[in-house]
Amino acid sequence: MTDRPLPRPGRRRNGALLLGLAGVLAGCGSSPEVLEQSVAASYPPAFPTGDLVGSWGIASYRAEEDRDRTVEMARQQCRLPYVIAQGPTDGVVMHVADDPKTYELKLKGSADGRTYLGFEAPPGHWQDREVLEYSKDLVVMRFVTPEVDTRYGTFVYVRCPE
Amino acid sequence: MRKAISQVLSGSARAAVAGLVLAAGLAGLQPARASVSQSVMQETMQIGEEPGRISTEEVVIQNGPFARQLVFFRTSEQPGTVVVHTSERFLYLVLGDNRALRYGIGVGREGFTWSGLVKVSRKAEWPDWYPPPEMIERQPYLPRFMAGGPGNPMGSRALYLGSTVYRIHGTNQPETIGHAISSGCFRLANGDAIDLYERVPLGARVVIKHAPDL
Repeated sequence: MTDRPLPRPGRRRNGALLLGLAGVLAGCGSSPEVLEQSVAASYPPAFPTGDLVGSWGIASYRAEEDRDRTVEMARQQCRLPYVIAQGPTDGVVMHVADDPKTYELKLKGSADGRTYLGFEAPPGHWQDREVLEYSKDLVVMRFVTPEVDTRYGTFVYVRCPE
Repeated sequence: MRKAISQVLSGSARAAVAGLVLAAGLAGLQPARASVSQSVMQETMQIGEEPGRISTEEVVIQNGPFARQLVFFRTSEQPGTVVVHTSERFLYLVLGDNRALRYGIGVGREGFTWSGLVKVSRKAEWPDWYPPPEMIERQPYLPRFMAGGPGNPMGSRALYLGSTVYRIHGTNQPETIGHAISSGCFRLANGDAIDLYERVPLGARVVIKHAPDL
């Protein structure tokens, strides 16, 4: 497993502030990049983050021909469900790839209408998941980073019965 | 690098596998020399796996004793029989005329070795994989089911052994060939697994030997 540093949104934000401050002090126009990122992060996701809260059976596939049976297999995995809890700041508590620790993640919309799940970073961040399908009882997501997506495949989440 | 494999069970381990041993005996196996709990037996691997890691179907062992090669092999087994020598980390496909095709394999770690006579009951390309609960506990972000593919620890091909939970299969960790790390399965590099898969038909006889012949 690769052991990658996780993004630290707080540090990133502070860094952005410093960059912005430096831009102002220097009298140059170097801050628009930061502003663009903030704007990009403000698009609404396709559904509320809280809709992810609950117990899910999860399974993954790579070939599209395996999708339907993977959905069925995910349904059968409710005996060992993946539990998504409400986070302290309106996010959900989940894992990112290759890290056994949990983090608070949020849904983020992008300018092109896509929805991502991840840290408070611009949508499409390398540790994000992209939501491919969503309904009340079925969510399909894949990791944004191609290498991680190749390794783990596309994840199917099927909501477990109460 | 090779370790001697214990053939002695502790008393508690014997008790733990009593049911398994009975089942194995009924299935035509010799009692497994294995300290295997029932929960582990539901799955085939658990420690040191790297699900998601890619090993393509082209990977074969190229050099050294674990490379696939034609060898002299004196045996009374009929051509087409697969003979697994756990302690040697070799799998032989008997060709006749005292010849065999030899493959390097990874085998069960200490306490997870077994011996017996089985037949190939099923064959699968890019088999599915269910990470065992112990692995889910360590790596909770894993899917509970992973459809077959290059990142799957079951590798490119699988030969299912009788009614047991054991298989001869590929791996996404080819560097483990020659080592004892599995939970009782026999693993080959993906390219070698494909080669063996194409040579061994359903119903083929498989002899698992724990200790070398004297």
